[in-house]
Amino acid sequence: MTVSDRQRSLQSSMHDMGLTEEAIERRKRIVGLEPADLGRIAAVKDVVARGAEEFMATFFEFLSKLDEARPLVTSHGLLDRARQLKKAHLAAMVQGEYGTRYVEQRLELAQLYARAGLEMLVFLGAFHHLLRAIGSAIMKQFERSPMEGFENFMSLQKVAFFDIGIIVDVLVMERERTIRQQEEAIRELSTPVLQVRDRMLLLPIIGVIDTHRARLITESLLRAIRANRAKVVVMDVTGVATIDSKVANHLLQTVTAARLMGALVIVTGLSSEVAQSLVALGIELSKINTVGDLQGGLEEAERVLGYRLLRNGDALPPPTMTEN
Amino acid sequence: MAVPILKQEDVLIAQVQAILSDDDLNQLKDDLSNRIGRARSRGVIIDVTALDVLDSFATRTIRGIAYTAKLRGANTVVVGIQPDVAFGMVQLGLSLEGVETALDLEEGLAFLRNAANSRGPRVR
Amino acid sequence: MSAEIRVPIEHERDIVTARQRGRELAAANGFSSTDQTLVALAISEIARNIVSYAKRGEVMLLALEETGRRGIVVIARDEGPGIADPELAMKDGYSTAKSLGVGLPGAKRVMDEFKLETQLGKGTTVTMKKWVR
Ligand SMILES: Nc1ncnc2c1ncn2[C@@H]1O[C@H](COP(=O)(O)OP(=O)(O)O)[C@@H](O)[C@H]1O
Ligand SMILES: [Mg+2]
Repeated sequence: MTVSDRQRSLQSSMHDMGLTEEAIERRKRIVGLEPADLGRIAAVKDVVARGAEEFMATFFEFLSKLDEARPLVTSHGLLDRARQLKKAHLAAMVQGEYGTRYVEQRLELAQLYARAGLEMLVFLGAFHHLLRAIGSAIMKQFERSPMEGFENFMSLQKVAFFDIGIIVDVLVMERERTIRQQEEAIRELSTPVLQVRDRMLLLPIIGVIDTHRARLITESLLRAIRANRAKVVVMDVTGVATIDSKVANHLLQTVTAARLMGALVIVTGLSSEVAQSLVALGIELSKINTVGDLQGGLEEAERVLGYRLLRNGDALPPPTMTEN
Repeated sequence: MAVPILKQEDVLIAQVQAILSDDDLNQLKDDLSNRIGRARSRGVIIDVTALDVLDSFATRTIRGIAYTAKLRGANTVVVGIQPDVAFGMVQLGLSLEGVETALDLEEGLAFLRNAANSRGPRVR
Repeated sequence: MSAEIRVPIEHERDIVTARQRGRELAAANGFSSTDQTLVALAISEIARNIVSYAKRGEVMLLALEETGRRGIVVIARDEGPGIADPELAMKDGYSTAKSLGVGLPGAKRVMDEFKLETQLGKGTTVTMKKWVR
């Protein structure tokens, strides 16, 4: 990734997380970070800068001892970048500027943690060690006025909580995204188009149908029709959670699209209650070939393909088109 | 690009090219109408395999061709609508109602052959 | 960001050019083949309306890059007669030309965003966007 790519992707993450300037100000209010804190933070600037290397070491040492953090500490690319960012973090933490730029930097580090699969608890543990090391250094510096040292540290701790808030949000969001992606994959897998026999497909639809899923189903059915040169499709809707007018219209579109490719769709598993309510809603079921149950649907499909014709020993259709 | 029309037995086959303008379509309509009469064709196949879009104008014109052909005694089958094209059509709200469809040329010919043979009620 | 593409619309063959440019732009910006088809279809409908009802106009195509997403925008402009009742024109099956009347509502369905601006005697502008999914 080039620098500008990284910048752009960070900006889009800021947007996705709703981290506008107002939102950032709100986060500051939540942790109680006020203008008065800035002076106290400035007072510990030098201590933190001087100890930066040591604090950083504390943080990564804690992680290196944990199995859970292995992906981060064993990948040199990630670790180097994480060190670089952590160092920048320690410097920025005492600069007194906690606006968009600062939040972007927190976001970048958080995304790196997320990529390394760092768990929330592990991160919090390391951060806790880091803060304790900083706190000890500050108290030592203000040996002669511990109250002042303590107040300064408390101000800095507000920034730390501000940081934690952002990092935790990123980790949670990444986790939700992973779950969503897995759900998506499961959904796609859950609509298999099965070949029953030559030129006959079975499409068992299960679960909840929304616009997005209806689209996936239609797309994969159309491709399967072409790939298998299918002539008949048995679409079984027994497992569809609810069939309201919206879902029915989606199904109708799937049927129509298949027909445009020359395939006949037979719908099975539509209960008579559902069928009646759809008719009442004005959905034109007359455009759909329906057969009560799956077994009947498969038999009908075979009839369409001409299998019964063969079984009954009827005359085969003539092999050429020269007659008439 | 004009649409070439081939004749195979008593079927006229219009091979639509990748780029189909409205003029081409209107031309095809006239050409087909003339040739059905001259050749006393029983069937017309419009092969749209090469087309990457079928919009409302094309759909309506093809329907017009099919109705005209019917009045002159020929069945029309549209063959080769691609998956993406079919998907786009239903999304737009087009269905080619009243026009037969088949997967490809081979299927289209088989359909016309069966129709000529049975002349009975069909599945759809 | 790539430069805008302008396709003057005057003859019906320009409709083909506009939808081809649209498909190319969609392909270059990572749209799936299904979505490329949907973009081409919407452009075809809207460009045809220019030829049919306004005689001439223009279709402008532009790649979009917003925070975290990519897409394209299609702007079709004409200085034709405008539409007297835009709400009615957006209804499925409504047509003053006895055609199918799915052009405007259909284009809206296949795109993600759709805006129709029209003024009687002044002209019509349709702005539509679609995002890469
Ligand atoms: N660019 C335009 N200028 C003037 N009128 C338009 C324009 N586009 C659409 N219309 C009007 O809106 C109606 C509906 O358009 P559309 O949905 O495309 O259906 P159709 O073109 O089949 O009539 C048209 O019949 C026409 O009266
Ligand atoms: Mg129109």
